[in-house]
Amino acid sequence: MKKIITLTINDQSHEIAVEPNITLADMLRYELGLTGTKKGCDTGDCGACTVIMDGDVVNSCLVLAIQANGSVIETIEGLSTDEGLSPLQEAFVEKGAIQCGFCSPGMIMSAKNLLDKNPNPTEDQIREGVSGNLCRCTGYQKIFEAIESQRS
Amino acid sequence: MLLPMFEFHEPLSIAEALDLKKKLGQSARILAGGTDLLVHLKKKLVKTENLISLSRIKALSLITEQKDSIFIGACATMTQISRSPVIAKKFSALKSGCDNLGSHLIRNRATIGGNACNASPAGDTLPALLIYDSVALLESCGKKREIPIADFFTGPGKSCIQPDEILTGFRLPIPPDHSGAHYIQLGKRKSSEINVVNVASFLEYDPDTKKVIATRIALGSVAATPIRAARAEAAMLGQAPEEASFFAAAEKARREDCRPIDDFRGTAGYRQAMVGVLTKRTLATAYERAKGACI
Repeated sequence: MKKIITLTINDQSHEIAVEPNITLADMLRYELGLTGTKKGCDTGDCGACTVIMDGDVVNSCLVLAIQANGSVIETIEGLSTDEGLSPLQEAFVEKGAIQCGFCSPGMIMSAKNLLDKNPNPTEDQIREGVSGNLCRCTGYQKIFEAIESQRS
Repeated sequence: MLLPMFEFHEPLSIAEALDLKKKLGQSARILAGGTDLLVHLKKKLVKTENLISLSRIKALSLITEQKDSIFIGACATMTQISRSPVIAKKFSALKSGCDNLGSHLIRNRATIGGNACNASPAGDTLPALLIYDSVALLESCGKKREIPIADFFTGPGKSCIQPDEILTGFRLPIPPDHSGAHYIQLGKRKSSEINVVNVASFLEYDPDTKKVIATRIALGSVAATPIRAARAEAAMLGQAPEEASFFAAAEKARREDCRPIDDFRGTAGYRQAMVGVLTKRTLATAYERAKGACI
C-alpha cells in the first residue's frame, strides 16, 4: 500500500506517494524524472547510484524510498546552477575524467562529499574517498587529478 | 531488479518492534541498514511479506559508555562506530573492522547488528566482537537474553536468534590496561570486497613478569562461522610476547585451528597460509598497542 513521504531533494520539498518496495534510486529516476542518478549493479557494489542523504553518501539502490521520509537528499542535478556546471563538475570535464559518463554522477557526488568534509585531502584520501565508485573507462587517474584540482 | 511486494512497518520503540515481531512471526524480517537484506531480496535469495524497520528507534543506534563496559546499539552504523572516540581509543580492532567493511557508501548504512545477524563467516566486525568478549543482547516480549558472542553464531548465515527475538545491541567489557588488539582483513581488492581471510588478536601482558596473561584470537572466513583459535591461544598464554612465541601461536592457528575451503576467492591452502601470516602480524601489533607504543 502506498505511503505519502515528504523529503527535500536539491533544496526543494517534495510530497510523494510511494510503494514500500521502490528504492530511492527508482523513485528519483521514475517518479521524479531525476535520471542523473544511474543504476549499474543495483546491489550496492558499483556506486553509480550514489546520492548524498542527510550529509552522507549512500547507494540509493539500497535505500527504500520510504526510508528517506524526512531526509535531505542531494543528487547530481543539484550541483549545477543557472550559471552552469559547478567548479567540481567543470574540473571533471577539463581534466578528461569523463569518457562514457555513466559513473560520473555517482563519482562526482562522492567527490563532492569528500571535499565538503575534507577540503584538502591527500592523494590516498582521494583514492579512498571514491573507492566505492567503479569506472570502467578512465582508469581513475584523471578522476583523481580532477578532484585534486579542487582542493583548497 | 525488482523487490517483492511487502508491507513496511516502522516502529518507534523496541516494545512496538517486539509486538510486531510476535504478531507477524515468520512472515516478517527485520530491516536495519538493508545492505545485505535488500540485496538478498533483489536476488530472490530470501522472501518476506513484511519488513520491520528499526532505524527510527533511537535507543538502538546509541553508543554509550558505562563504568566497566560500553553498549553498542544494534543499529549503530559502521560510520557511527568508527567515529566514536571511545571505540577509537579502546576498541581499535572493532574500529578497523568497521572501517574496512564494504565501501564508505555501504558503511554509512550498514549496521553492526546486521553484520552479526547476517552471520557470514567472513563478517568484518565479527572477529573483533569475538576477541573483545562481547555479549549479544536479545529481547522478545517480556524476556531478555544475554548470549556470549562465542555462542552466537551457529552456522554460515545462522545465529541463535529465535523468531520472536530482536538483537538490541552488544555489551563489550572495557579492555584492561596493558592490553591491545589488532585486526587485519585480506581481500583481493582494498574496497568493496568479501574477505579471503580476516584475523583479530587481543593480548594482555603483565608488565612485571612480562608474560602474556590473556589472549583471544579470532579467525574469519576459514570455518563455518567466525571462530576462536583455541590452540593458538593456549600456545600464547604464559609466554613472553616476542616474535618466536607469536610465530609458534600462529603455527597452531594455521595447522590446527582453521578449517578453510576452496572457493573462487582462494584455495584452502592459501587461506591456511594466510591464517599463519595474519595471526603473527596481529599478535605482534596487539602487543605494540598493549605497550602503548602505537595506537
